[in-house]
Amino acid sequence: MIDRVNHVDWGALVYLEMFVAGIAAGAYAIAAILELFGRGRSPIARAAHLLTFPLMAIAGLLLIVDLSRPERFWHMIVQSKTLFPMLKPWSPMSLGSWLVLLFPAFAFVSFVDALVDRGMFRLGGWRHGQTLHGSGVGPVWAVLGGLTALGVGIYSGVLLSVSQFPGWADAPLIPGLFVATALATGMGALLLFTALGRRTEPVDLQDLARASTMVIVWQMLLLLLFVLTMGRTGFEVFLTGSTLLAIIGAVLLGGIVPLILLRFGAARLRPGTAALAAVMVLIGGFLVRYAVVMGPQLHG
Amino acid sequence: MEEARGFYTDTTVCIGCKACEVACKQWNQLPSKNGGAHEMSGDSYDNTVALSGTDWRHVKFIEQFSPDRSQQRWLMMSDVCKHCVQAACLEACPTGAIIRTEFDSVVIQADVCNGCRYCISACPFDVIGINEVTNTAMKCTLCYDRMQANMVPACAQACPTASIQYGTVSELRQRADTRVATLQAQGTQAYIYGKEDVLGGLNSFYLLVDRPTVYGLPERPELPSRKVASNWLIGWGSAIVGGLVGALSLRKSRMDGRTTEARDAEEVRR
Repeated sequence: MIDRVNHVDWGALVYLEMFVAGIAAGAYAIAAILELFGRGRSPIARAAHLLTFPLMAIAGLLLIVDLSRPERFWHMIVQSKTLFPMLKPWSPMSLGSWLVLLFPAFAFVSFVDALVDRGMFRLGGWRHGQTLHGSGVGPVWAVLGGLTALGVGIYSGVLLSVSQFPGWADAPLIPGLFVATALATGMGALLLFTALGRRTEPVDLQDLARASTMVIVWQMLLLLLFVLTMGRTGFEVFLTGSTLLAIIGAVLLGGIVPLILLRFGAARLRPGTAALAAVMVLIGGFLVRYAVVMGPQLHG
Repeated sequence: MEEARGFYTDTTVCIGCKACEVACKQWNQLPSKNGGAHEMSGDSYDNTVALSGTDWRHVKFIEQFSPDRSQQRWLMMSDVCKHCVQAACLEACPTGAIIRTEFDSVVIQADVCNGCRYCISACPFDVIGINEVTNTAMKCTLCYDRMQANMVPACAQACPTASIQYGTVSELRQRADTRVATLQAQGTQAYIYGKEDVLGGLNSFYLLVDRPTVYGLPERPELPSRKVASNWLIGWGSAIVGGLVGALSLRKSRMDGRTTEARDAEEVRR
């Protein structure tokens, strides 16, 4: 591998997009799991349905603005000269573009479903009490949407780790770390949403706190393995300057602090404590994205 | 389909005149850097520094001196896009902007590229850059427009020492093999970089006299697609474990919750 002079210039817009899309992907995947347990209309699942689509809309916008020619964003999906679909499954960027298109489509229906369930409006037989989620079709929709969500959580990691840049190319666990971060931050966002909600049920908070604890542990384990497997080049690239600080920050703020808060507050978790832990998880997830995306670029 | 065409660059006869760089810039109407402001890199006679979206030819100057400076050697090499038979950029491009032409060269269509910059990360040779005038990714086209008119690419036409030679790849390889044999007979450790072992063969290949890394070339470049499947597997593996961990916790919580609710209900009944 050679030193790079030409940079991809994937800066703040990109790691912010990966962070936001990760939250959406993680939250939707958790809602899908709840649906499979027959809890598709539970407050936690509904919180995920309400959060996911707006977050993906923001993520899509960030991706478009980051292009050097934003007006040509549709070239990712449609061949500009023939108008045939443009898909290369072997290219993570191409497959990722389709996932970023498909996942919001599932998320949009779930978003509308959540609004209908709240009685905000009705569309024919689609009304409060007769919604997609929680019905017989709900699990099918949740599984398909959940798979596209996880695909969104994974693809950005694959995209980086198959590149030719020293650091990214040396860290094979980036896709695993990214999807773990997506689940942790998705869970964190739901915890925050639930903790700040007016109709918070203690059992919902306890549910989320216990699940969050386990997912945070998984994310921290992946972060440790990511560091251990990156090799000498990875050490030079990631464990220096602001990326080293970001990784330390991710371990402290995104791992140790929320684990302590959730663990010690487990017996009778207060909404304020849960909200604080959730904010810490989100900050930690953001720092992970920053460190992984910027490390090789700052190093060069 | 025409026979594959390309460049054979014999680095042993390059004199570092940069006529190729000038001819390329002139023919392809490529802009200067920083509005033409004169900038010295401090790196030998090299002020172009690297291939980029506006520099499609780059003459490298490699100064090799022994510690006591009693022995010295200058290596010069005119670098360019390799027009790989297995092209990583073409494989990665999500818009279809990068195509393979009838001459087996690899060209970026400026009217299709949307500047996602993924090809930059995919190229193992660091050839592609963003052209700040068009805001699209750009690189050498092997003078596709000239080739269609049966003309020699501008750089090869301008090269005064025939360091850059243009032709059909099969003929160029024969010429290169003969030259390698001659140099080896003279005691020079010459070899060809870019035979079939490098990405299926480089249509723009080089005669070198030192290790590839000395010239800033990768020893064993690889296609990104070789790692794609394993990376997706790692991602899905983590997703399954993370999802299961979360799912089991949620399920256990619900069960515990139900047990508590049942106990509470029983107490109320009493």
